[in-house]
Amino acid sequence: MKIPMRYGLRILSASIISGALLLARPVLADYTVETVSNGGTIEGVVKLSGAALQIAPIKVTKNQDYCGQSIPSPVYSVGKDGGLQNVEVYLKGITKGKALSTDTISLVNEHCMFNPRVQGANIGQQIKISSNDPVLHSTHPQNASTNATIYNIALPFKGFSVTKPLPAIPELIKVKCDAHEWMHAWIWELDNPYFATTGDDGRFTIKDVPPGTYTLVAWHEAAGEKPTSVTVSAGKTATVAIQLAATQTP
Amino acid sequence: MRPDVRIATLLPALVTLLIIARVVLAQDDVGDVHQGKVVYEQYCALCHGEQGDGKGHYSEDTTPVPRDFRQGTFKWRSTPSGSLPTDADLEKVLVNGLFGTSMSSFSTSLTHRQRLDVIAYIKTFSPRFATEKPEAPITIPPEPPYTAESVTRGEAVYQKFNCAQCHGNGGHGDGPSADDLKDDWGNEIVPYDFTEGHVKCGNNGSDIYRVFIAGLNGTPMPSFADSISPAEAWDLVHFIQSLSPDYPKNVTGTPPTPIGKGAP
Repeated sequence: MKIPMRYGLRILSASIISGALLLARPVLADYTVETVSNGGTIEGVVKLSGAALQIAPIKVTKNQDYCGQSIPSPVYSVGKDGGLQNVEVYLKGITKGKALSTDTISLVNEHCMFNPRVQGANIGQQIKISSNDPVLHSTHPQNASTNATIYNIALPFKGFSVTKPLPAIPELIKVKCDAHEWMHAWIWELDNPYFATTGDDGRFTIKDVPPGTYTLVAWHEAAGEKPTSVTVSAGKTATVAIQLAATQTP
Repeated sequence: MRPDVRIATLLPALVTLLIIARVVLAQDDVGDVHQGKVVYEQYCALCHGEQGDGKGHYSEDTTPVPRDFRQGTFKWRSTPSGSLPTDADLEKVLVNGLFGTSMSSFSTSLTHRQRLDVIAYIKTFSPRFATEKPEAPITIPPEPPYTAESVTRGEAVYQKFNCAQCHGNGGHGDGPSADDLKDDWGNEIVPYDFTEGHVKCGNNGSDIYRVFIAGLNGTPMPSFADSISPAEAWDLVHFIQSLSPDYPKNVTGTPPTPIGKGAP
């Protein structure tokens, strides 16, 4: 009997494709995307309690000709009325809602610092890493709790950029530049899209939240983490005021 | 004949073929974890620790410290930055050892089968090996002639890519960032001094090329895969080799053969 090769090939390629899909399947996040037509908004402000901190500037120890002699410490960036910048705010444990973010996030090496210092992202997003500096930088993201290297990319000259995937598993990522040990950034990679980073006035907005009661976590690199309960009603705006204490001196 | 009948005829044969392929591959390539544990406890645990944490009995007297296997982070790989190593990468370290460290060669003390077994066991220390696969090894194009011109161009590449930031202008490992470098475990780590000779991860041109592209996971040595061209990378290899005492100083046009202690 003559067996037509094309059917065999079809079965073989089908097996290979399904096998590859099985292997490539990402770790299933405990989050389901659904249409949010009656969502509410969470608006809030994060403030630093207590007296304003006097923090010594970063002493630049290499490439001073370009980076300068010192850089103001970016750790406690406090705006008007005590609003604290660079706090990541996110809903913990939310299981369903709007679609995940898919745009490419950005991390720029600029004036021997990372910009932005803190940002949120979703699993599956990509990151564009670039340098505006005429010195060698490296962008070296690590798991913040284990220090395990995610990858380590050289940015050898001004104008260089590259786009890379974020890890497949949600985690807090700490980014460093090995060539300039003061350079740090944080990326909160989450499995739900309900996150925001506070601006220079300490304010944030999270939109299209399905009605319900949630735990809102506010995280700051030095002041630590604080959970707050928030109830969101359909079509309404819930307001939250969070106080973080400057417990650590960087 | 209808297509679905033909498919039905073909399926058992295909399944049998896949089963045979699986058995053959399993026998050739995959080590036995239980056998590997026996080998590990006899040869590896004294430095790398019973738990694979790099804290074995002898670890305190060892510089650099033994690898902690729990992160799945390995410096020497053929795979891109951040990726797990392949089994072949790990076996190469077992066969060659790591020059200048306490990691000795197991080329004669262990059989190929025992090496595969112990690799299978070492991989159980990190959960990454259960959930991730190593990425495809990087491609290394053929080495161009080792000429004086290539070395000169390589010096310009060394400048262009700011290698001196860590490795210093003369390649002595004394650049401005050299003193503040740490590995993933917080241990101080120094940039390589190219004038010392014998690159730890292998002395062939392709070994050095691979480090530029793959980087050294867990260390400050980043990957230049996205910024350097193959021609630039080969010229840089030749410049690095020209700094080393392991290679003849006359550049003949053919890839250099390491001499003395540098011989692979």
